[in-house]
Amino acid sequence: MDVIRDILTFLADNVFGQVPILIGLITLLGLLLQRKRFEDVLAGALRATIGVVILFIGVDVFTGGLTSFQTVLASAMGTTPPKADHSLTRFLTEQGGTIALVITVGFLAHVLIVRIFPAARYLYLTGHLMFWVSTVTVASLVTIAPGQDQLTLVLCGAGFVAAYWTVQPLWMRPLMRRVMPGDRFGFAHTSSLACLVTGYAARPLGSRGRHDTERLRLPRQLSFFKDVNVSTALIISVIMLVAVAFADDGVVGRASAEMDPKLSSWVWALLVGLRFAGGIAILLFGVRMFLGEIVPAFKGFSDRVIPGTRPALDAPTVFPVAPTAVMVGFVASTGVFLVCLAVFAGAGWFTLAPPMIMLFFVGGAAGLFGNVVAGWRGAVLGGVISGLVLAIGQAVTWGLYERTAPELATLADPDWYAIGWLLKAADPVVGDGTIWLVPLVALAAMVATLVVLGRSGRRGTADEPEAADAGDKAPAGA
Amino acid sequence: MALDRQLEILAVCGVGMGSSLMLKMTAEDALRSLGVDARVENTDVSTARGMAPDVVIGQGMHTGEIAGLAPVVITISDFLDKEGLEARLRERLAEQGWLS
Repeated sequence: MDVIRDILTFLADNVFGQVPILIGLITLLGLLLQRKRFEDVLAGALRATIGVVILFIGVDVFTGGLTSFQTVLASAMGTTPPKADHSLTRFLTEQGGTIALVITVGFLAHVLIVRIFPAARYLYLTGHLMFWVSTVTVASLVTIAPGQDQLTLVLCGAGFVAAYWTVQPLWMRPLMRRVMPGDRFGFAHTSSLACLVTGYAARPLGSRGRHDTERLRLPRQLSFFKDVNVSTALIISVIMLVAVAFADDGVVGRASAEMDPKLSSWVWALLVGLRFAGGIAILLFGVRMFLGEIVPAFKGFSDRVIPGTRPALDAPTVFPVAPTAVMVGFVASTGVFLVCLAVFAGAGWFTLAPPMIMLFFVGGAAGLFGNVVAGWRGAVLGGVISGLVLAIGQAVTWGLYERTAPELATLADPDWYAIGWLLKAADPVVGDGTIWLVPLVALAAMVATLVVLGRSGRRGTADEPEAADAGDKAPAGA
Repeated sequence: MALDRQLEILAVCGVGMGSSLMLKMTAEDALRSLGVDARVENTDVSTARGMAPDVVIGQGMHTGEIAGLAPVVITISDFLDKEGLEARLRERLAEQGWLS
């Protein structure tokens, strides 16, 4: 028996606890199941493994830049920077294996659900968000029920994310049908709640027919903003330079001396902005590398198990429909976020860090759905809602993850905040022993939604408003 | 096949993770139907600038920015339209003399 225990301990410490190894093995299995050639299997598994290693390095660079940014900005405003005893790097080291298993088990459960319920309709295929939603879910579970073993966390997390991946494209369906009348694919993106709110709130503002953004012509100078690497570096650097002008010389001097004692604080400010953008670029590069292997493997598997299912895809797949609306939403969300940054810091509340990627994709998607409902006014409203949700979400959610990974609040989309706070709200009821209620309630709410949708679909009415209402209720129940 | 090496194809999107990966899978399917030996990669617009592929595929928002990057630049609006992409690839690859 001791031998078995030793083997299990070895596996727990060296395989399930080590994300690069675990992801490498999962990819290896996926590629083998697709009967790829030997060299493709080996190269693919190695690429996935290296991708995870690069992701960790990127997170390290990014969180370092974030700390300098917050310290100097807080000093300029005379407030205290947000505290962080824990970091995303450490959290990924400790729980990365759990997260990788949540993605895998959650995806298998999701495939099974789509196979069983015709009303489930869409297969969720946005890989990087599968990773981040699993991370946010595990962080939330650890927050409300610390000290759970890995198996419990994996099964509870997987049940919850499988329910989310199944229902999220469904509550976006009524809006998606207006953007993509063919219904060839669904919308799988964690901006969904901001888009949904925009879709309903924009109704009184006008109509697409009269105010369509695609008849507007935007200034050419805005185009470089579409490159999120460029806009991140530019905006963070400018804020850093302004902050250095007002910050305490001692604070700035100490921080810049850490990088290089001979460095001018102005050049240091610029370098922090560039390193921040660089860290995010590295992080994304790593994610891209392992997703490039894992997503086709997942898709190959599901194509075999459930042929002909509609996929639900990442937000930019709808951007070609209304690129101007995307830019209007992005610019509006960034503007609103920067105003919030000034107001929050001025009030001494919280020093925000502009998440350019999220401002682009959430603001852009909400702008697009706003436009389809109400033209350019809807697009602006979508941007404003996104900017507010991201700013307020970041400020109030930082503390939620203080025992796990507070940086998750900085890098987040609206649905991440919703998941975090939903699970937090369940905290008084759901403790260590009752953590199983999380996946059970989520899955029960999902099944109820699918049964209701299935009935209305069979009646042949395919009543869209009814479908929308059923979809709306699911997140509250999940 | 008039080209004596593997064709290098790049699918681009804003951050190079979600939609460009879908596009890569669509392109791989289309190339398989065409019987073209090609390697398809996906990446973001920033990174794409430092690369020298034979063909770039992306949505108009991005292909406008990197128009001179490759001999063949294809702008798409439907990420899953395999037949449409296949037709465009056949036409443009033939223009370059890479496909007879």
